[in-house]
Amino acid sequence: MTTIQVRDVSHQFSNQEYVLDNINLNVREGSIYGFLGPNGAGKTTTLRLILGLLKKQKGEIEIFGKPFDNHRIEILSKIGSLIESPSIYGHLTAVNNLKVWQKIYQSPDNRIGEVLELVGLAHTKNKKASQFSLGMKQRLGIAIALLHSPSLLILDEPTNGLDPSGIVEIRELLKSLNQHHGITIIISSHLLGEIEKLVTDVGIINKGKMLFESSLADLMKRQHQASTIYFDTNDSATAIKLMHQHKIEAQIEKERIVVSQLSKQGIAQVNQTLVANSIEVYGIRAVENDLESIFMNLTNN
Amino acid sequence: MMSFIHSFQSEWLKKKGTLAFWLVFVGGFFIPLIFLSRGIFYPQDFLAEAKSPQFWNVLLSRCWQFMAILLLPLGVALATSLITQLEFRNNTWKQLNTTPQSLSVIFWSKFAVIIVMLLQFFILFHIGIYLSALIPAIVHGSAEFYQRSVPFSSALKTASLYFLDCLPIVAIQYLVSLQFKNFLVPLSFGIGLLLASMIAAQWQYGYTIPYTYCLYNFFTARQGNLAPGGVNFHYWAAGYFIGGTLLSYFLYLNKKEKG
Repeated sequence: MTTIQVRDVSHQFSNQEYVLDNINLNVREGSIYGFLGPNGAGKTTTLRLILGLLKKQKGEIEIFGKPFDNHRIEILSKIGSLIESPSIYGHLTAVNNLKVWQKIYQSPDNRIGEVLELVGLAHTKNKKASQFSLGMKQRLGIAIALLHSPSLLILDEPTNGLDPSGIVEIRELLKSLNQHHGITIIISSHLLGEIEKLVTDVGIINKGKMLFESSLADLMKRQHQASTIYFDTNDSATAIKLMHQHKIEAQIEKERIVVSQLSKQGIAQVNQTLVANSIEVYGIRAVENDLESIFMNLTNN
Repeated sequence: MMSFIHSFQSEWLKKKGTLAFWLVFVGGFFIPLIFLSRGIFYPQDFLAEAKSPQFWNVLLSRCWQFMAILLLPLGVALATSLITQLEFRNNTWKQLNTTPQSLSVIFWSKFAVIIVMLLQFFILFHIGIYLSALIPAIVHGSAEFYQRSVPFSSALKTASLYFLDCLPIVAIQYLVSLQFKNFLVPLSFGIGLLLASMIAAQWQYGYTIPYTYCLYNFFTARQGNLAPGGVNFHYWAAGYFIGGTLLSYFLYLNKKEKG
């Protein structure tokens, strides 16, 4: 079942060009969906549209199988969100911040202690939120999003301002919420490396257009296919000529021959051809492109 | 209805420890505190005044004099802006507008908190006035003071009219504060309109300026109707309040960006 379905949604601010151009997005129930794109790609605008913070101009948005416009309150009661910087009342303590939202959600009193414990802020006691570090504010923002035990979490760059150990903690927390409580999570980021260890599905957006949407496994497959093979020989010039004769695209880079996208069988054939033509092959090395470079390729193209 | 009550509780909690919260307490007791000090440090004046049968009317009128002309309208404008701007200042509109409650509930519960705070201010102000007379009477052992009965009905009527007359300020400041992120906009708007109302009080159409009514109410109580042409400015106050609130509600519901 699909938890979030966005169909042909476009959006523009005033008379400027479209910041979202016919985007489609599908978040499976129980998944952790990584919503990726460089700064200004349209991630936050998409998430704000999903939450009804922006008036929808074109397209359809369904959450939990129901159109958002007609079931706003019912849908929002099952969503926890953290959009951009955390929404925190600086003059209140962490507990009172949570009480503000608890009154609305009518969640049990003991839930406040639970979520504070969960995000590691139980020790803050009478400290006002304005005195919190950015990381602590971010954690409190996540605690607010979790307060009413939502079945869908929408998090816009939730690890902003967190130190590396904080990032790992939040990652583990989100994994646990997904695995043990079945919470569907959509998490946006401009850093693939930061969320590749967390997500099950990936959507990549750039300049308001969805460039890729599939499972992380699919993206990995793409990564594998995009691997680069390096041939180290005694005569690179002759070797590259032979490769071109066999219609294999290759180039010389630092006295090595570089071939991209070559199957295992292809590697064996090239090797045989080179040896058969008295070229000494000292080494063959396959280097898989990291996800970051695939992301860069997708967004740059 | 339950949704409104929960939302009101949430809004009430938010104001805890804010400047607006302290403004209600400090503002409510400020003028009475001055009269309390006068009563304690100038016992002869106090004892002489306590002999007058008009003791309470004079004290109430003096307290309202300082309150009505500047402090009440300014305090109302400031407190309303501070409460409303709390969401902009803390970047919380986006969180509030994604809670499972209708936008109407959010709008009216916040508005109700401001109205209740105003009521709270009026109550504290009157408690302060009472204490500003009672404490010197106890300290100086004034027997006459206890013979003066508090004119409850006239005090209530005066307070009700002042309450009504500052409601347009609440509505208009609420409207402006909901629309502009920058706190200086509602603040300078409120101060500007307040100054304009003081300048225009004797203008023949001064009653069209929604911040003049507290001023008119005070001078009317002293010198008869000050508003030109015998205009009942209380109706104008009610009209501005209702019109301003409905316009504010309409604009809030139709905001393109809700955080």
